[in-house]
Amino acid sequence: MASVVVAFELGGRPVEVLVSPLATLQQVLRTQLGHTSVKDGCRQGGCGSCTVLLDGEPVLSCLLPVEDVAGRRVTTLEDLTPVDGLTTVQRAFLDANGFQCGYCTPGMELVTKALLERNPAPTRADIAEALSGNVCRCTGYVPIIAAVEAAAAAGSAAAVVASEGATR
Amino acid sequence: MTAQYHVVGESLERTDGVAHVTGRTLYTADLAFPGMLHLKVVRSPLHHALIRGVDLSAAERVPGFVRALTHADVPHNVYTILGLIGVEPEEEFVLPVDRVRYKGEPIVAILAETEAAAYEAVGKVQLDLEELPAVFDMDEALAPGAPIVTHWGNNTFMYEGHPCRRVRYGDVEAGFAQADHILEGEYRTSPIEHAPLETTGCIAVPEAGRFTVYTNTQAVYFSLDNTSIILGLQPNRLRFIGGTVGGGFGGKVDVIVEPLATLGAMRTGRPVRYVYNRQEEMQVSSTRSAETIRIKDGVMADGTIVARKVTGLADCGAYSRQTPYAITKFAANATGPYRIPNVWVDAYCVYTNRTPTSAMRGFGVTMGHFAIEVQMDKIAERCGIDPWTVRFRNAHRNGDVKPHRKVTSDATLIETMQAAARLVGHGLPPELAAMTSAPRTEWEGER
Amino acid sequence: MTVSTYFQPDSLPEALALLGEHGPDLLVIAGGTVAMPLINEGISLPAKVMGLRRVGLGGIEQRGDRLAIGAMATLTALTTLQEVPLLAEAARHTASWAVRNMGTVGGNLFTPPPGGDVATALLALDAQVELVGPAGARLLPLSGFWTGFMTTAAGPDELVARIVVPVAPGRHAFVKLGRKAANTPAVVTVAVRAAMDGEAVRDVRIALGAAGPHPLRSAGAEAAVEGRALTPEVIASAAGAAAEDAQPFSDQVASTWYRRRMVGVMVGRALAQLASAEQRGA
Repeated sequence: MASVVVAFELGGRPVEVLVSPLATLQQVLRTQLGHTSVKDGCRQGGCGSCTVLLDGEPVLSCLLPVEDVAGRRVTTLEDLTPVDGLTTVQRAFLDANGFQCGYCTPGMELVTKALLERNPAPTRADIAEALSGNVCRCTGYVPIIAAVEAAAAAGSAAAVVASEGATR
Repeated sequence: MTAQYHVVGESLERTDGVAHVTGRTLYTADLAFPGMLHLKVVRSPLHHALIRGVDLSAAERVPGFVRALTHADVPHNVYTILGLIGVEPEEEFVLPVDRVRYKGEPIVAILAETEAAAYEAVGKVQLDLEELPAVFDMDEALAPGAPIVTHWGNNTFMYEGHPCRRVRYGDVEAGFAQADHILEGEYRTSPIEHAPLETTGCIAVPEAGRFTVYTNTQAVYFSLDNTSIILGLQPNRLRFIGGTVGGGFGGKVDVIVEPLATLGAMRTGRPVRYVYNRQEEMQVSSTRSAETIRIKDGVMADGTIVARKVTGLADCGAYSRQTPYAITKFAANATGPYRIPNVWVDAYCVYTNRTPTSAMRGFGVTMGHFAIEVQMDKIAERCGIDPWTVRFRNAHRNGDVKPHRKVTSDATLIETMQAAARLVGHGLPPELAAMTSAPRTEWEGER
Repeated sequence: MTVSTYFQPDSLPEALALLGEHGPDLLVIAGGTVAMPLINEGISLPAKVMGLRRVGLGGIEQRGDRLAIGAMATLTALTTLQEVPLLAEAARHTASWAVRNMGTVGGNLFTPPPGGDVATALLALDAQVELVGPAGARLLPLSGFWTGFMTTAAGPDELVARIVVPVAPGRHAFVKLGRKAANTPAVVTVAVRAAMDGEAVRDVRIALGAAGPHPLRSAGAEAAVEGRALTPEVIASAAGAAAEDAQPFSDQVASTWYRRRMVGVMVGRALAQLASAEQRGA
């Protein structure tokens, strides 16, 4: 069993890791790169807690051999969180209490980010469909959906401010 | 709300909120320690079997295998979680000696350098088991000739020498004789798995002379004290760090992973990680117990309940864990929030060869209330009375005595139902709208 | 056994050479959504694994009046396929967004419950499977691809390279019953594709998913509607025939008894949908 070197981009920075064959991206992010916001809930693609963005698209890191992401762009919640303060999505989840135990939260927020990039004004049905792969066992789905709606509203408000700034 | 309140009526940010939304909260399985070993367990593929032999030789040859733990390694191998509060007897094996009683019961623990090596070694342990007849149904477990699960000769938990938890209050047969209607019902509930998103697990780290155990238990001192008893260690040699739980719902109050992980750390001098995978969480972690509840009520024409006889069965699976306590709660709550002057309850904690059951959100009480509230609707239907009225007429009021002899002093059912009716826009008749939980008049109390 | 090698061939010939060399010891994975869970939990312990993400089979091309869909095209790529709306609809009803970003159309032919929702739609579309092996490529009708429960007509030295789908005008209907609204395994999936001749149904294909050892066509239901207008009586008779044709199984999602009943109900709904559908390419 020869270890292999895999190089990819993590949060905009190049990383190189030495991994055993078929190691999952989840395993490598959690145990070698310290990105423990990527959770370990089922390793079956059933819970969504290990969601990361691969070239901006949500994928399940527990099902992805890290060798498959060679040369590609991986984003986790660690990469998005500012040094001070919170992202719009994080602020919305905090204000709406869109979490209880917190275990599903990183996955929920990454899917929310990807959703709002594609659909800045989603309906509740759009939100529920987008988040259908992310399980919250504390069953706090109502505040989670409210958080996504609040993030969408805050995002469009920010976009208006930005475009007004640009016009000026 | 006046300005002197800073909490009541305010929406406060949770103290762990920022850590949760930034993904910085560290849960047990997010931790790692240098030299950490991985513990995986060989589990029984059969529901009930004699253990004839365990052959570790092939497992020992797997690269990365460090050692196995068997029942002979466990200082005090038989325990009961509720032993801490005086519940007897000790009946669950950390690692069973000669018999497995449920599918998935641990037999041998494997310690290895990596999780993959641990899985591989687990797969290479050869078990020689002799299958025994198993029982999965509570009524069958109580019938003569059933396979016996326990070591004391019947399939019920014994409450002070009795096979059931009993409540006796008033004269239930006299109540039935006086009643206008007799209503009987049987209610069944299913086992429910908590399925927390974070699976059960811990990491035991040896330090100079003691062990620090990082755990996602919901009951950190329960875990510490039981681990102390099982391992024969003074409690001051154990330091348990908990408090961050990725979903529990009662499923993380049993003491299952900490004793084995700490034993592994004792035997190897290295940190040991024992975290369930999803399959283990679903198959072997405790569930809510299944219950069968049989109720016979004697009811007057106006809907007043005058007598109730209840037989309750709760399936604790192969080991009782917290289910004996669930049954006590069930027995105490068998009348619900209603005043019934004549009550007779027999509530059994029944052993079967199913996965052990334990705590889950109001366990014992929730299943009973499902039965009781369906029964209330049936009473309303039989008497031709509105379901609200039946509940108001029977509601506990201050001064009412409960079957376990506690005098009600904090009754709120009537006021709660009045508030609920307002919230859903349901108009109550004046008789009900005017009621309060104030003590009954002398005349009312005679019924 | 710990995985000793993970092969990532850069081309189809390279993949076929590895398959020839390592034969039955080699576990071939596509999107990984079925194989990886088993490996992660130690249930499947392969020594050698081959992943196909780099073989260049992710594209979708026009081939005359057909569409050749690379076996590694993701389910997400299918969701916006305007040429074959039945396929797009089936893909949208499969799993969750993240799984659709990983799961592939080729993999869906092997997904439990035997054959996924997309595979069921492909059967209704009369798709062909392009198998490539050392002897070259061959096209096999999908209806002859599955040979039993999780067994196929693909040789041990062959790989599924493409799925070829006719693009033809007509109507379609897709109905999936799950235990929740989204991201749910099928109790029963029904995909229907037909040409219309006025009110009469022509060239109808009614495919049932999660209703047998692999996706099935219901010959009885097809015969009941072929050449007829979709009156309530015709639909009821087709629904009954489909329930008889089904070979359902019990699993954690549903029982044999329930699946058989739901095959009838869902075929009825699909045909009612077909009857009311606006003319559109299927």
